[in-house]
Amino acid sequence: MIPVFLAQLAKERRNPLLIIVFVVACIGATMVFTGGIQTPTTIAIFSEEDHAQAIEEKWENLLNAEGDIRFVITDAAKAREDVLQGRSDVAIKLFEHDYQLIASVDLPTIQYIDHYVRKIFEKEAFINAAAAQSNHPAAFRADIESKLDHPLMEMDVTALTGDELSSYDMGTQLMFAFTLLVAMFMIGFRVNNVLKDKVYGLWDRLILSPVSKAGMYTGYLTYAFLIGFVQTLIILLVFKYVLNYDLGERFGLLMVIVAFFTFSMVSVAALLTGLVRKPEHFYAIYPSVIPLIPLVSGAYMLPGTMTNPVLTFIGDLFPLSHAMDAIIDVVLYDAAWQDITQSLILMILIGVVAMGIGINLIERRQSS
Amino acid sequence: MIETVRLSKAFKEKVVVEDVNLYLDQGESVGLLGPNGAGKSTTISMISSLLKPTSGDVKLDGQSVIRDPSKIRKVLGVVPQEIALYQELSAYENLKFFGRIYRVPKDQLESRIQETLQMVGLQDRQKDPIKTFSGGMKRRINIATALLHSPKILILDEPTVGIDPQSRNYILEMVRQLNVQKGTTVLYTSHYMEEVEQLCHRVYIMDHGRVIASGSQSELLSILSNEDTIKVQVNQLTDAFITAIRNIDVVRRVEETGDGIKIIVQKSRNIISDLVKLAEQENIQILNFQMENPSLEDVFLHLTGRTLRN
Repeated sequence: MIPVFLAQLAKERRNPLLIIVFVVACIGATMVFTGGIQTPTTIAIFSEEDHAQAIEEKWENLLNAEGDIRFVITDAAKAREDVLQGRSDVAIKLFEHDYQLIASVDLPTIQYIDHYVRKIFEKEAFINAAAAQSNHPAAFRADIESKLDHPLMEMDVTALTGDELSSYDMGTQLMFAFTLLVAMFMIGFRVNNVLKDKVYGLWDRLILSPVSKAGMYTGYLTYAFLIGFVQTLIILLVFKYVLNYDLGERFGLLMVIVAFFTFSMVSVAALLTGLVRKPEHFYAIYPSVIPLIPLVSGAYMLPGTMTNPVLTFIGDLFPLSHAMDAIIDVVLYDAAWQDITQSLILMILIGVVAMGIGINLIERRQSS
Repeated sequence: MIETVRLSKAFKEKVVVEDVNLYLDQGESVGLLGPNGAGKSTTISMISSLLKPTSGDVKLDGQSVIRDPSKIRKVLGVVPQEIALYQELSAYENLKFFGRIYRVPKDQLESRIQETLQMVGLQDRQKDPIKTFSGGMKRRINIATALLHSPKILILDEPTVGIDPQSRNYILEMVRQLNVQKGTTVLYTSHYMEEVEQLCHRVYIMDHGRVIASGSQSELLSILSNEDTIKVQVNQLTDAFITAIRNIDVVRRVEETGDGIKIIVQKSRNIISDLVKLAEQENIQILNFQMENPSLEDVFLHLTGRTLRN
């Protein structure tokens, strides 16, 4: 088994173009369809008052205390130049109790930022006004801030099921759909090595060697599993650490789902390999079939969009729909082990059945 | 050492090998000669345990290997007709791979690889990918991979197909040395009779799935002891001329060659004067006559009425 595995690895090392193309294509497609790099919005702030530094530091702390926009103290000239050149949409000129937006074009994002900044300034003005009425403004301020942090009444918004209400991120779903799609291609092409080596006579040479049939299959299929898994891992790491996509808090659990999916997909590829006689037939059929799987599995659509029972049934025959269910549960709803067990079991089941039928078919083709 | 007993193989209704009996003694070099489609590759696939026979048996040292092929696989090196190598990998990586799957001990693997590369004359190209090799070089590495585990029996299935004469001679000399110097038993299939003549002690001639003749070269050639082979070179050929020659009572066979005809005749009579007369009648100019010693090719022609490369 090990020599067969190592030979496949050596071939990949000699020609890593395919895996590079798949990684780049996946990232590129995700960027195009989900709207680019998810870096936090950064807004330049500056002051030109007499005690500019104090004003800047005060408002920087208050503005960055909440929300996902980052406010950064910037040199006034640079901030103006960036807006003028179109490198940033807006900059904020700070006064002691007021602000001024500096923009060259009226964009929807400017209204959103204006709304957020105004809220912070109003809150601060309210506290200041209230504190001014007190004999001990500092103590009053501390008291009111403490009360705001721990209010008497809190409003909690939940879903109908009682779960926390989350906003659905279609971009994250698409990112996983593309990642698993390119993994399916890679896995299929590597499982097809069995067929290639049969046609070119290498398989017969292996049969005549002391390596057992089980060892031969294990070598080829373990390699297909590993390369599919590693490719997916690389892509997800790039999304998480380079492109700042939100992959949830349970990356380890995500990789367990990916491992189950990869095993299951290796088996499906083995089944499709067993249905054809020549590697060329596989190359013709597989790339035609695989892009349809995400469509019938609803991987490109919002949950609940796909209602046709026939398509849903067909989609459920492939591991992608179960992997997507589990991944979305983990990433968007913070699901744990027990919440995704059903999806994992279904993927294992598909894997075992497809592997059994696939190897049987491959062997029949050999002996006929 | 190896013996087949009434070995037969049918694919659905089509019988491709029928009742083949052959044997190889230890250290012998045996040729399996026949045209394309004669059943040679199927026969050696059954001998090497790749294919189960429909009926009959393959025996190694008197014991059947059909049910338990592991015994024969341990002593066998098979060189397939196709280039069964990883094209993307270098010669060295391919040999290392085959050394590992044949479980050549780790401490001997490197020396065996270098020894085998030296044997096939490709030590200086060992780091180059196979896909950059010429056809002849690929064939030599194809053979080398079958030699790594020092097999006692080497089966070569048309190892010189489609290569240049220089590589062909290199391969033939290499196989001869393996047989003579190392005592490796060789089963060599080919449709080039001159290769088999050069290498093999005994020959089996196959056609349409059957062994139609067997024996040492001299035994096979004695089939033609009552016949002469005449090669006639002419400026042109006509159907009437060939038909007229066929009608001469002592002519057994007439075969067109590139620039003339080959005639097998009974030894009893000289037909040269008849040929000259017929050529004059047909306005054909005879350029050259040549009496030839019979070859295995002629034996095949005699037995089947076809040439080996038909």
